[in-house]
Amino acid sequence: MKKNIKYLYIIIFLLVGILTSCGNENDNENKLLYWSSNNPYEIEFAKYIVNKWNKENPDKAFIKFQPVPEGQSSEEIILAAVVGETTPDIYSSMWQGDVEAYAQAGVVIPFDTLDGFIDFIYERCDSSVVDEMRSQDGHIYQIPWKINPIMMIYNQNIFRELGLNNPPHTYSDYLAASELFKKDVDGDGYVDRWFGYSEVIVTWWQRFFDFYPFYLAASGGAPLIENNKAVFNNEHAIGVFSFLKKLYDNEYFTRERLSARQDVFLSSHIATRFTGPWEIVHAEKFKPEGFEYDFSTIPVPDGFEGPIYTYGDPKNIVIFNTCKDPQYAWEFIKFMISKENDLKLLEITSQLPRRKQIDADSLFTNYFNANPKMIKFAKQSKYVKGTDSTPVLKEVFDLISQEYEACVIYGVKSPEQAINDAAHAVNLLFIK
Amino acid sequence: MKKKVVPYLLVSPYIIHFLIFIAFPVIFSIVLTFHKWNIISPMEYTGFANYIRLFQDTLFLKSIINTLIFLVIHIPLQIIVALFLAEVLNQKIFLRGFFRAAFFLPVVVSGVVVTILWQQLYGFDTGLLNKILVTLGFGKVGWLIDPKIAMPSIAIMATWKNVGLYIVLFLVGLQTVPKHYYEAADLEGATHWQKFFKITLPMINPTIFLVVILSTVGGFSLFIEPYILTGGGPLNSTLSAVLYIYKQAFFYYHMGYSATLGLFFALIILSVVIIQKKFIEREV
Repeated sequence: MKKNIKYLYIIIFLLVGILTSCGNENDNENKLLYWSSNNPYEIEFAKYIVNKWNKENPDKAFIKFQPVPEGQSSEEIILAAVVGETTPDIYSSMWQGDVEAYAQAGVVIPFDTLDGFIDFIYERCDSSVVDEMRSQDGHIYQIPWKINPIMMIYNQNIFRELGLNNPPHTYSDYLAASELFKKDVDGDGYVDRWFGYSEVIVTWWQRFFDFYPFYLAASGGAPLIENNKAVFNNEHAIGVFSFLKKLYDNEYFTRERLSARQDVFLSSHIATRFTGPWEIVHAEKFKPEGFEYDFSTIPVPDGFEGPIYTYGDPKNIVIFNTCKDPQYAWEFIKFMISKENDLKLLEITSQLPRRKQIDADSLFTNYFNANPKMIKFAKQSKYVKGTDSTPVLKEVFDLISQEYEACVIYGVKSPEQAINDAAHAVNLLFIK
Repeated sequence: MKKKVVPYLLVSPYIIHFLIFIAFPVIFSIVLTFHKWNIISPMEYTGFANYIRLFQDTLFLKSIINTLIFLVIHIPLQIIVALFLAEVLNQKIFLRGFFRAAFFLPVVVSGVVVTILWQQLYGFDTGLLNKILVTLGFGKVGWLIDPKIAMPSIAIMATWKNVGLYIVLFLVGLQTVPKHYYEAADLEGATHWQKFFKITLPMINPTIFLVVILSTVGGFSLFIEPYILTGGGPLNSTLSAVLYIYKQAFFYYHMGYSATLGLFFALIILSVVIIQKKFIEREV
């Protein structure tokens, strides 16, 4: 029995030893920990930047890089890190819509309190972009970094077959082209070739690929929320719902989920979809021989004039409050988003830095000459919006998504009623 | 002294596990029901606000009704199919061992894999089921896109996934029925159906009770199927109570409200199981 007790003590001792050795590497004061997204291209970029910085600044604190740990989503991992106080010092793939909640919880550092930030940011970004970054308390907790504007991809082969010389610019153009293309190919009495496709499930972020870019395009980049109040109960949102509803009513879009099938765009089952520049890498890899495609702006209401905005899917950089030296972290970030490194970001990841007039900057000319399909995205980048600053953004989009499903997809509500109900439900969120 | 310590040391792993992973979460979630908490900000005491909100939440009510609709279809279907197949597999049929294994296979396959498989079957345009219907001259069915049909479709899929487990339970039940009961019935000239209703069913009543309880509790926790197949749509027709609770917690970080819904829902399950127990015990 004595012997058994001895073994028990040894096991407990070993367990305690193992558990106490699991410390946070970030405890080392001479290191800053930087997390990037776990996209392989971004990992490559982050490694390049961190190695370069550490090599050029051997006398300064070492920057340690790590991709955000694997999980269902990077947002969940960051949340878990915030709760466990194991956040990195710097994180470079923060979705803009999440920042307000973190800012209100005091877990991110306001950049505008750091030396040199304000001058730098106004030099590199349009003032409208800086304003968009501003939190409800007036501080700036995130640095605009990269965007993936949502545009319309279209199959040029199909457009030529339909006798269309240009991609549809307005709602009427789009509806007319849809009517030309929709078809029951196998003759079973059901349409199986649709002009476009958008995910029909109500998950809140799916609306970034249909309602939201259309709303921004129709309204010239108007917000959904202003001063904790829904401001989308207007003719633009109603117009977007009416237009999208026609797509489903007339079977130009299908109500079925096609995401589990072979790529419906590359297999020419659909002629258009609303997507970002990541589609280029995918299409170039998997397109059939002779398949031609291009991008165009999001269709707008008939008679619309002015710049056509879209959703930019922005990912930004933040410094967490666990950082012991925010000023030094900012120095590193400044290096990471220098013009030369912005070009490197574009070259390695095919994602656009959110900077002033990127399409006209001579530094980027060679890249765009070599990647002509990216020019359209660069031109569009002047007219992109992120999301409004509110900690309940996901619920706002969820409520809109519920009404979108009821009105646009299933037609059980009129566009006016659906938008009105969504705005009313959103306003209830702000009543404390 | 040592004699007193050692037993406690030996049970301590379970006690520690129980305290950390069962007792603490239960107590913490009850405390949470009186708070507003989004994980990253400090908890804010709100009294009974979450309970008041719960009784005004029409979507939660709809999610409970959806879950009950699922149960009403799923439980009888599960029992009928499982009992029928168990009865067949209890006979000396060709390849009996193979069929027993084959029917059990979906039980051990991941729910996600099964759901993706059925997504292919249920597809409106290219799904196998609609291809067969069209070939036979029928119209296509909106298995997952028609709000009236989506939940029954999910119930059918869940039945297919779980029926193997209940076949095993019924097989055990059937094999415990004494053979001389059937022999006596044969001497009396009883038909097959008479034997089934007068001997088999009463004798396997405890198994039926077990199956009803297991499928009720399992059915109440409906989550993966609607989460992957439909996201709760169309028009919230497949939004189960657990999916709604999950959304409140992990989409919107309404931890206090989600805990309130969870607690309330646990009480509903408990009540249903107690009623079932009373009712079926009376029948056994």
